[in-house]
Amino acid sequence: MRVRPVRIDQIIPSIVERDAVSHHTLEAQKVLHSMGFVSEIYAGNMGPGLHGRVHLLEELPREEPERQWVCYQASIGSPAADVFASHPGLKLLDYHNISPVELVERWLPHLGEEVRLGRKQLAELAPVVELGFADSEFNRVELEEAGYRRTAVAPLMVDTTNLSSTPDMRLVDRLSSARSRGGNDWLFVGQMLPHKAHQDVIKALVLYRRLFDPEARLHLVGRESCPAYADALHRYASALGLAGAVEFAGSVSSGELAAYYASSDVFVCCSDHEGFCAPLLEAMHHRLPVVAYGVTAVPETVLDAGIVLPTKSPLLVACAVNRVLTDARLREGLVQAGLKRAQEFSLDAARRGLAQAVEQVLQAA
Amino acid sequence: MTSEVVAEIEAEARELRAGGLVPEGLEDQLDKSFDDVADESLAAASAPGAKAVGGARAVLGKISSLADLRKQADGLARRRFGPSLRRLERRAALGARKAADGAWITVHVTADHFERVAAHSAVASRVLSTIRPRDLAASAMATRRPTIEGGLLTWTLDRLSPERNGEAAPRSVLHAECGDGRLVELLAARGLDARGADPGWSERASRDARIVAGGALEYLGATPPASFDGLLLTGIVDRLRPGAARALAQLAAASLASGGVVVLVSTRPEANMAKDPVAADLAPGRPLHPVTWCHLLAQSGLLDLEVFEPDAGDPDAREPELFAVSARRADPGREAGKGIL
Repeated sequence: MRVRPVRIDQIIPSIVERDAVSHHTLEAQKVLHSMGFVSEIYAGNMGPGLHGRVHLLEELPREEPERQWVCYQASIGSPAADVFASHPGLKLLDYHNISPVELVERWLPHLGEEVRLGRKQLAELAPVVELGFADSEFNRVELEEAGYRRTAVAPLMVDTTNLSSTPDMRLVDRLSSARSRGGNDWLFVGQMLPHKAHQDVIKALVLYRRLFDPEARLHLVGRESCPAYADALHRYASALGLAGAVEFAGSVSSGELAAYYASSDVFVCCSDHEGFCAPLLEAMHHRLPVVAYGVTAVPETVLDAGIVLPTKSPLLVACAVNRVLTDARLREGLVQAGLKRAQEFSLDAARRGLAQAVEQVLQAA
Repeated sequence: MTSEVVAEIEAEARELRAGGLVPEGLEDQLDKSFDDVADESLAAASAPGAKAVGGARAVLGKISSLADLRKQADGLARRRFGPSLRRLERRAALGARKAADGAWITVHVTADHFERVAAHSAVASRVLSTIRPRDLAASAMATRRPTIEGGLLTWTLDRLSPERNGEAAPRSVLHAECGDGRLVELLAARGLDARGADPGWSERASRDARIVAGGALEYLGATPPASFDGLLLTGIVDRLRPGAARALAQLAAASLASGGVVVLVSTRPEANMAKDPVAADLAPGRPLHPVTWCHLLAQSGLLDLEVFEPDAGDPDAREPELFAVSARRADPGREAGKGIL
């Protein structure tokens, strides 16, 4: 059994509010405090609103190895990984996945460099990390493949702000007004980044409108993080004559997000790569049936609480949505399974997962 | 259960296809249509592409010491830029030796095409950080930043200050493209939680944690919605393409909390035109008229548009080439029935 350290500090490349990994890091700090450790967060960059809660990376103390451990939140290439690697303390790594370079480099060359570096750093850190834990089994397997000797799954501590917000009623009214004229509402929530493959949801909508519901609409909610990709999606919708049917909502408040969940009929995800995909759970929490392309961590997150498709051919996605929206029994079954699945990812359960991972290292000889 | 349902859905899709309800080639056509618009959008994007990043990596990857940097600079100077780059490189090397933390500073000097150079610098900065994270930092510097003074300064600070805004007093204010941070200090002196972001800011060179490196579009694009009660935009607003101007207005609106206020200070287009009409016409980006900013901000859902033009209302105007526009995001609690978005 190891000597219990006085402090376990976290290192993160960049931290901002309303970001899944950032939120997880802040929650992890609470868990470490509750276990009796001194624990601070040290970030390479920090967004507004976090000064005072987070320290600059340069301020990371270097105490005796038996007094201080460090935990790295890995999701992108960063100089922060070098700081982590050179620290004398015992090392833990919390892995949130790194998007494959081929999915992002065409659109965001600089991001391509960062994810390429991230993969390289992930492999380089393997020999010095005592325990690598990941927020999904999919991510844990990637750690094993990168050479990590000891790995575990510790679920993501999901931001529940989006689950408890009151829907923005003015937006609900606007969406209801459109619904009163007929047509079902599709929803996808996620940053407008190329690996989320928004264009494939639009393609499926084209088939669905042609075959089943000519008035159907699609709401795409999420920050337009890649201007060229967002521009292409806007052009694509216009070129297909869907300018009035596809809404680009951009980044929205919690209340507005709740309104979109409350006013939609189905959540459709055609992402090419997801390390976890928290919006799937948000949709389930809001009683929205899920139709998703079963790739990377998506099947693991959804399990049997949604329709997980083996391909994302537009016709197959359109048929799946039609089945969900016309088969009342199936829909209700998915809603109930979704509610149960969302509860399994409660904050308390995720906190226990992290605490167990830390205890596992403490107990190791 | 769901695997059986998926099998049924797949069977239905096959039947629809076999029944001719899905025109042959439609799905391929959808793929091709997206590929076409993707090519157009990528071509239209001004950011340096993969080729430029690859080239930067190839050059910078060879650098492992200051002597290497000098060798690279010498090569570039012979090829194209002549002795001026040698002098600049010597000054940069001198500055690098003087820097307490050993940071290297690359300086891009440009008289025109600022936006393109700034975009290149931003990419170079990120590439540098991935290759030599401990040794290299990059910085873009404008040759001239208009000084906001006199009545224009007072008007700008007042719009962002708690006294003017009553219950919706701004608390968190960001100055995007804040230069040396002078206005951040002035806003902080008024009791505001003032922050700054600037593409030329070197975090290594300063311990002022209130200011971070980042261009306005880049920083606001990565900022969660409703982050600020006040937003001050300067610098970049003088050199935006039309599409980027609309994007900046939308990002500004999204970054404001309910009741939040944005103030932007820009140069009159006529001023540049009078100085050098050819350069003004050929510039990749240019300043916009006050009425155009009002239009863009209103289209982004902002209210209470006001314009301040120093030469019209300020006898002590020191920068008559400048003007300011302010706008406010609706506060649903105070303005029930009015639209925000």
